[in-house]
Amino acid sequence: MRSDTTGFWTPVALSADVLAGTVIPARVSAGIIALWRSQSGHVAASADRCPHRGMSLSHGFVRGEALSCIYHGWSYGQDGRCVRIPAHPGLTPPETIRVTTYAVRESDGIVWVAEGTPASDPPSLAGWIPLRTLTVEADREAIETAAGASASADGLLETTRADERLCLLLSPSQQVRTGMQTVTHVLVADGCLPPVRIAASRSAERLRRMAETAAEKGRLP
Amino acid sequence: MTDDTASAQAMTDEWYPVGLISQLDKTGRQTALMGEPIVVAHDADGQALVTGHNGRRLPVKLRYGHVWSSLGTPKKDIFAIPEADQPGRRFVDVGVVRVRCSPLRAVENFLDIAHFPFVHTDVLGAEPHTEVLNYTAEIRPDVDEVWATEVKFYQPQASKSASGGITTEYMYRVPAPTCSVLYKTCPPRPTEWDVITLFVQPLAEDLCDVWPWMALFDDETAMTDLIHFQQMIFLQDRSILENQVPRLLPLDPGMEIPTRADLTSIAYRRWLKRHNYTYGAQLVAR
Amino acid sequence: MVMVQDKTDEIQQRMTILGELDIASFLPWIHRHAAKLGLGQTVAHADDARIELDLRGPEALIDMMEIGCLLGPIDVWVETIARAPCNAQFPNAKTTV
Repeated sequence: MRSDTTGFWTPVALSADVLAGTVIPARVSAGIIALWRSQSGHVAASADRCPHRGMSLSHGFVRGEALSCIYHGWSYGQDGRCVRIPAHPGLTPPETIRVTTYAVRESDGIVWVAEGTPASDPPSLAGWIPLRTLTVEADREAIETAAGASASADGLLETTRADERLCLLLSPSQQVRTGMQTVTHVLVADGCLPPVRIAASRSAERLRRMAETAAEKGRLP
Repeated sequence: MTDDTASAQAMTDEWYPVGLISQLDKTGRQTALMGEPIVVAHDADGQALVTGHNGRRLPVKLRYGHVWSSLGTPKKDIFAIPEADQPGRRFVDVGVVRVRCSPLRAVENFLDIAHFPFVHTDVLGAEPHTEVLNYTAEIRPDVDEVWATEVKFYQPQASKSASGGITTEYMYRVPAPTCSVLYKTCPPRPTEWDVITLFVQPLAEDLCDVWPWMALFDDETAMTDLIHFQQMIFLQDRSILENQVPRLLPLDPGMEIPTRADLTSIAYRRWLKRHNYTYGAQLVAR
Repeated sequence: MVMVQDKTDEIQQRMTILGELDIASFLPWIHRHAAKLGLGQTVAHADDARIELDLRGPEALIDMMEIGCLLGPIDVWVETIARAPCNAQFPNAKTTV
């Protein structure tokens, strides 16, 4: 993405996809994180590993303002501090027992997670609003080639096809077990009608197919 | 202690479950032991036969409903479970479950009780009864086995034969690197223990076949219900086992925070370390 | 320095670790683990057969320190760990696992 040495924001999910009282896995360049929203609506992101015995926290549950590990119920606040160890109910966990957290921002309907220390706030989406998220099994270059356009430094890619404008917000591509993967958010114009939303969704899926097919061909001997 | 040849040898000369006696047939079961393909079948005379790489014959024993074999030369017999010889016991072959995790992690999870209210909710435990009271865990020098005793936990529905919530008492035992035996309160016969075992077949360092087996005093419950209950419990554990990091069992807890509730698990890791049973183990904290 | 939430349940204990202790790897390990638990720590004595640690904090956390130290890093073998209130002359019953 940027060559900013102090850090950058990754658009990990739509705000609408992180319901209050739930936790979901999300991906940043360091790997999977546990992205969660407390009962009161505050979103937080933590490393996907419980410091007790290494269980994935994105498999856990949210209760009130804490994220709990599904294995032994160890619970963590939004700042990452352990607040409860159920096997030892009389113990107040020290603040040193904690899970690593990431700075999070919500703006324009997107949840952004910081890696490093970004110099500024996440970019504005300039009137576009998020519709849905697609995971493309291909890298950014393949998506750009399929779209016939380049993404901006902020990850925004606009393309017009048969008079339909399509706007995508691309996360940095990640290396996963099966190859390269790019989490892609489909954006539409604020206030647009359902037919436009449906068309955008279909357009994005078409683009995904093209990018993935090209990526597959590139992989074949 | 970290010599690779020594560690490979330490677990080679042990007995492992490789199949069910009731499922032995002429065609055979294609499976593996620590990376080596093996076939478990019976020969023309109906005797159990296990063959390894290049058709070499491996040692075979039939015990506790299962076929056992080894890639090396075990110096000891398969561990004893005297309760299995008591008249009136019902034996339950639960059947195999494949798990993408270290065989050692499968055993460690079986030894743990603090997860009952969260993983086996409303069956083996429930909030707010989450406290784990102190218990005793040791490596018994006479038998060289890990034993945990005086383990207690309140359970809403401890087993198919329990009619309501009770405080269940447990004892845990590790007599072999990938096998564990648990003894739990037996509601129909309060002076006896129900026996539930986990026999783990190591296929690779991060893949295993788990064979639960039971020897119970329970004349009421149908066999299929006993099997389904135990399978349900184990499938709940599997979703934990396949999502723990690192995949191999750490023998250095530097990246973990074990508590007194984890004492049996620490005793087990300590015993593995002493014996150099490191197949499926992570030596450096990661 | 770590702030403990409730100073009234803070105690001070001496932990005596015996075994084949490779202090070059065990001492940094101990330091990290005690810091993770928020314990005050001082090494009163250290050689490859015996380490004496003075620990300060809630008893349940000193418990957790003991459990972790029973394993320690891979090249260390801990035989026993004993704990006693600080300034006591003789340790209490040993813990072996």
